[in-house]
Order: sequence, then C-alpha cells, then structure tokens
Amino acid sequence: MIFHDLKKMGILGINNRVGRYILRHNKRENYPLVDNKVLTAERAEAWGIATPENYLIVENYGSLKHLHLKLLNFESFVIKPAKGSQGNGIIVIKEIIKEEKNGEIRVLCRRSNDKLMDVEEVKHHISGILSGLYSLSGQSDTAIIQAKIDKHPIFDDYSYGGIPDIRVIVYEGFPVMSMVRLPTKNSDGKANLHQGAIGAGLNLSNGFTNNAVIRNQVIDVHPDTGHKLSGLRLPFWREILELSARCYDMVELGYLGADIVLTPDHGPILLELNARPGLGIQIANLDGLVPRLEKIRLEAPKNLMAKERVDYSMSNF
Amino acid sequence: MKKLIVFITALLIILPVGVLFYKSQVLKLSLVPQMVDDVWNFHMTVRPKGDVNSFAFPIPKAGPGQKVTDEKIRSREFEVFVDSNSDSILATWSSKQLMKGRISYSARIDLKAISYKNIPKDYAVTYPKGLEKYLKVPKLLDEDEEAIKLLETAILEGSEDKTTLIRKIYYYVEEEIQRNTDIKTIHETLNTGKGSPLIKAKLFNIMARRKGIPSRIVVMVRMPELKKIKEGAKLRFTFANEVFLANKWIPIDTNRGYFGERPDNFMLIHRNYEEVEKLISKKKVSYSIQAERARINRYNKAEFKKEVIKTDSIFSKISLYRLPLPLQTMFTTILLIPLGTLFLSFARNIIGIPTFGIFTPILLTLFFKETSFGFGMLFFFVVIVIGIGERYILDKFYLLAVPRLSIILTLIIMLMLGYSFYSVEMASISQKHLAFFPIVIVTTLIERLSIELAEEGVLNTLKTLLGTLVIVLLVYTMFFAPVLEMFMFTNPELLLVVIGLQILIGKYKGYRISEFIRFRDLVRQKKKMESLPHDLP
Repeated sequence: MIFHDLKKMGILGINNRVGRYILRHNKRENYPLVDNKVLTAERAEAWGIATPENYLIVENYGSLKHLHLKLLNFESFVIKPAKGSQGNGIIVIKEIIKEEKNGEIRVLCRRSNDKLMDVEEVKHHISGILSGLYSLSGQSDTAIIQAKIDKHPIFDDYSYGGIPDIRVIVYEGFPVMSMVRLPTKNSDGKANLHQGAIGAGLNLSNGFTNNAVIRNQVIDVHPDTGHKLSGLRLPFWREILELSARCYDMVELGYLGADIVLTPDHGPILLELNARPGLGIQIANLDGLVPRLEKIRLEAPKNLMAKERVDYSMSNF
Repeated sequence: MKKLIVFITALLIILPVGVLFYKSQVLKLSLVPQMVDDVWNFHMTVRPKGDVNSFAFPIPKAGPGQKVTDEKIRSREFEVFVDSNSDSILATWSSKQLMKGRISYSARIDLKAISYKNIPKDYAVTYPKGLEKYLKVPKLLDEDEEAIKLLETAILEGSEDKTTLIRKIYYYVEEEIQRNTDIKTIHETLNTGKGSPLIKAKLFNIMARRKGIPSRIVVMVRMPELKKIKEGAKLRFTFANEVFLANKWIPIDTNRGYFGERPDNFMLIHRNYEEVEKLISKKKVSYSIQAERARINRYNKAEFKKEVIKTDSIFSKISLYRLPLPLQTMFTTILLIPLGTLFLSFARNIIGIPTFGIFTPILLTLFFKETSFGFGMLFFFVVIVIGIGERYILDKFYLLAVPRLSIILTLIIMLMLGYSFYSVEMASISQKHLAFFPIVIVTTLIERLSIELAEEGVLNTLKTLLGTLVIVLLVYTMFFAPVLEMFMFTNPELLLVVIGLQILIGKYKGYRISEFIRFRDLVRQKKKMESLPHDLP
C-alpha cells in the first residue's frame, strides 16, 4: 500500500507541510521579506549576507523612458520581478550591443540563449513586470535590474546554459535537506525542476551528490554534457550551510528554502528565499523530510548559533 | 487547542443534525417539501363532419383524482358555450356560418390514482332522484334477456348486498368475457363470450342496473407511457364503469382489471357515455388527442410553508419560506455555493486536483447552472481561446497589462451582444438579474488565465484548465440534484455542518491522492536500493 510506504519513508506531503510546518512556524507578517526580493536584498545587506548586486530598481513606468541609456552602463545584467516565483519573468542579458544607423542609436540585448532583443522589447517586458504579470498575487510589482552572476567553474561539466543553484531547506535554523539544481537543454538553461532541470540531492555532511533525478526519473549522467553526476562535491560546503542557517535569523521563518549560488569570485551568495519551498527535494534525495524535521523539533538543542546548528545538521543528517 | 477544535467541529456537525432530527421526529416536518405530481399537458382537436354550424363535445372536468387548470377553450372563430352538470362538462362550439376547420382544447391536468379499499356492504334500496337515470335498463332482445337471466342465476345466486353483487359481476365480466374488438353487440357477446372494451363496459352496466345498482359507463383517455410520448402517439377514448356503492361512485374497469381503483394514468373526459355516445361517434366528428408530461414547480413550496407555520415552533418564524419569492429563488441558488466549496476543498486538498483560482470553478458552475450547460461550455471555451489568443496577438503591441485585460473584457461583452441576437439564454440571464454575472466570472478567469499562462506555460495551464473543468462538471451534476437544493433551502442550519466538514478537511495533514502519483517513483527507487545487497565496510 503506497500510503503506508510514503509514511514509512517519512515523505512530507503538501497538506502536512502547510498545516504542520509552514502555518506553525512562518508568521505571515514576515512573508514580504522573502516574497519581495528588494526587501530581501535590503535586509540581507543589513545582516552582512552577500546577495547579487542590484543595479537598478524600476518602480514606475515613467522611469522606463530613459532606461536604455542607463542600461548602456552595464555589460550584462538580469531583469527579474521583485515578487516573482519559480523563475518566471526573469531575463538574462549577457551582452549589450549598440548599433548606429543613420545617426540613430539602436540598442540590442543579447540574451543568454543568444536571442537578440530590441531594447523596446526589454522595456515591454519590464512594464509587464510592473503591472504584475509575474508577481505571486498578480498585484503590481517592481522590476530589478541585477548583476549577472557567472557560473562557478566546478559546474562547467554539470550544467547546460544557466547557473545552477543550491536549495537548502532550513527548519528552525537547522539545514535539513539540500539539493543542487542543474540546468539542462530541456529546462531552457533554467534551474527549474518543473521545466526539466536536474535535481541532485546533496549529503548534508559533506556536500557530495547522493542521487540525481530529472522530474521523477533517476539519472546517472547529465543528458547534455554526458558527465557522470555522482562524485560532484560542492566547494564552500560549510559556508553554504552557514549562509542558509543565518537566513533563519534574518527573516525569522521557521520553515524556509534558501536558494544559493556559487560565484567564481565571492563564494556562495544568497539568491532568494522561499517561504513555501517545494517538496521535489525529497525526490532528488530519495529521502523523506519528516524524520529530519521531527528530529530537530524533538531532539535538537534550542538557542544555538548558526554555526552550532550547522554542526548539528552536518553530524546528524 | 486540539480539544477545542474537536469540540467545535463536533458541535457544528451534531447541532444541525440534532435540529434536523427534532424537526422531523418531534415537529413531524418533512425534510423537503412534497413533490408536486407530474402534470399532463393535454391537447385535443376536434373537427365536425358534414355541414353543421354547431356541435358539442365533452371536455374534462375536475373530480376525485383529477385537477384541471389552464384550460384553453375559447376560439376566435367560434362561440363557445360550456354546459357543466355535476359530473361532466359539454362544450358547444357554434358559428353563424358553416363550421370549417377544427376546434382545439388544451388544459393542464393533474392526475392522482384513486383507490377505495374495503367498500362496506351496501343494502340501499332507494336512491336520490338524480341517480334514476343510472338505473334505467336498456331494452334487450328477448333472447338476450333470457341469456342474462340464466347467467344471473348461475353467478349471482345467494348474494344479498349490492357490494358483493357488483364484485361478482365484475369477476364475471373481467375474467369470462374475452377481449375482442370485433364483437360489438351485447347479443354477440352473450353468444360468443367475447367482447370489445366498450361492450364489456356495457354488459357490466346492464347487469349492475338489473340488480338495482346505479351504474354508468365513463369515457376515459389513457395517458401514454414515456416512450410513446416521444413518438407523439395519438390517443383514443376508452371505457370503464362507475357504480354507486356506499354513497360513492366507485371506479371499476373490467378491461384492465381494476376494482375500486383507478390508476393515475387515466383521465376521465365524461362520466356518462350514454349522453355523449352520438357526440363522440366517428360518424359525426374526427378528433385527435395528445398528452405529454409537463414538469413544473416540482416542489410544493406553498404547502410546505403552511406546514412549517402550522408547527408554531421557532422554525415557523425563521424559515426561509417566509421570504418573498424572488429572495427565495436567489437563496436556493446561493445556498448551493457552500456545498460547492466543500467539494472544491475536498478536490484540491485531499485529491489534489489543480484548479484556476480558488472559487472560479464554483462561479463557473453557477454560471452554467443559471444559463445552460451548452451555453456555459461554449462561453468557457471562447474565453479560453480569447485568453490564449491575446497572448500571441496583443503581445506584439506591447500594451500594458491593465488596458490589455480591459480590451479582452470589452471583446467578451461584444461577444455577448452578438450572441444575444439569436439566443434565448441571454434573455434568461438578464431576467434573473444576473447580467453582470458572466462579466465578473470572465474578469477573474481571464486574469487568472493570463497569470497562469505567464507563470506556468501553456501545457501546465491546460492541465489546470482540465482540473477546473472536471470540478465544474462534478459540481454541476451535484447542483442539478433538485433534492439537494431543496434540502439546503429547507434546512439552512446544514451550513454549520459544512463549516464543520471544512474544518475537518482543513485539519487533514495526510497525503493527497495526487502525491501518490508524484512520489510513486521515489518509493519504487528507494525500495529497489534497499533490496540491493549492502557493501560491507
């Protein structure tokens, strides 16, 4: 009986996640801190948590008018909605091309998938963000023009297109489960499991991959690079876990998903936080969340510092 | 905390159930109003034969087990004169010129079965004057007279009371005389033991009258079965008897075997065949009769209101039946919404069916219910097509989101305008003061659709659409059980039960059915790995 199997493996279901963990531990008033990336960035700065640099915040349609002139200052950038979810509405521009024809200046943007976008299209996209097309609740939103992050060389063989990111589930400040999401051709270079990115579970104790899946299928090699997925070990592992554990102190959400990226120069930085992290991480790890959550709830010592909590997680999970 | 929730939930569920029990057991109220019987639409056309400028024909009259309403008898071409005696009605149509064409009569007829069990023994000797005509024995051939006398000695000997006599005559005519439509006189019947339905009724009539029992032949129409209604079957007159026993006219049908009862598919058109024999003869007129079931007002709310008020309990003061009728109609629909949301909660949180927005499926269902299924579906799909189409077409114009959505809304309104030119549904929407309803639904739907398409992509959106549609269909079927509607309207305290059940669903922390599918592979992989031999350290 599959119901029994799920229970035995400690798989966390949606109802249980919401009813027992999210509603109990996450105060509604703290949600804006994670749902709005502008607020997250401000708070992170105050706490000394590294995040991608925000070049520009576009809050109203008026500032769109001269936007192309401002964009010319940057070599590359990312446009994202402040209240977006699941990577929707994000455009990565890797190159700005300035063309002059008959005295008219034309600005073209080359996207990460090498498609060219006229700056008018970029503006239209931003106005879509402003009117709330991509925001969680459909309300009007703010657009963020952010520094583009480069891929850490360790992922060269493990990723197609975009940047992999590391998801850590943090419960009461303790990292409980983690995975790295590796973009594929199918996922259009995005680190989005729903669209077909690889989810590779990570051992909390050492940062080694333990298993990998695409959607629900276990895989051994990356479908695009052909590289074996086992044996990947994330550098800065302890730093990654500490960063995620500190996010708990920062936003005071008891059940939290931290999305972290590895930069080539600055090590791990926080990309965004999620108050309702998905359950697919269990499939990537071939393991259930419930036993770990319950162990922390019942056994873990209280009032520990982030470092101590990471110690506890690394030695227990 | 947990105990409190259990307590509140239990209270919410038990209290209304208790009230329900009290209403039905102590106050003896029914839980839903009585059904109004199915009514018949009766239609008859008659054309006189030959050159006449007036003619008469029987039309149905109300009586035991028979109600006649909405009669349409007047005609522009002819004058109509209605002659009603205590038992039957004759209508006479006349005109200054010779009558051409046909007259038509229609009415709504409510039939109930009547049944007299245990008719007491009847020793009556004298009868009121009005009944004398039902005792007159027609003149018979001497030969037949003899035959009947012999019969009487054979079957009726020794019986004293009239009830027993009638029963014996009934048994004889019903069982011994075989049905044969070719035999059309008493003489032949007595010789052959066979007879047409009319002759069997006549024989019964004669034998009853000879024993001094008032008797008559009634002219009836047998209502068609459902199957035959569809074929538009033409109906004929048929015959049975009534005898006056224990101060009542008792129905007897020797052709179909009913003693003291008449089923609800027989309508009386005239209670004395002798009076109308010539009028309905095919030599004089040609007629055609049709009847079909009309379902109107299936629950008798008015009766129930009286019933509630009679109890003189608190319920007589707070019953929804006291509201003005338009409000009642509104609330019958509105009270279904909580039931719909209950189903929705179940589908989303326990089964795990994705839907558009939270209450959009319920709104859609109401829209389907208020218009019609076909129209609702059409509307739904047109909206979806416009919603998806706009992403590909209006996208090129780089319009801001709000004006863009407004354009779609305007398109929908134009669509409604266009459709209203050849649709009755549109008219019915505005009659119900729900003209704004589709617009509200479309607004929410399109907005959700637009966001969903942007966030989830076309494929996932279609999945959600399918989920929405499934919910709509299921809730729609649920909403169409009239019992449910009336049950909620009659017992609105059940809303508390709905809240109680919602708490139960809200507290459910187990897996959703959809998660079995989602984690199915996980379970399989994990099992496979566990079954592999472990490497020894």
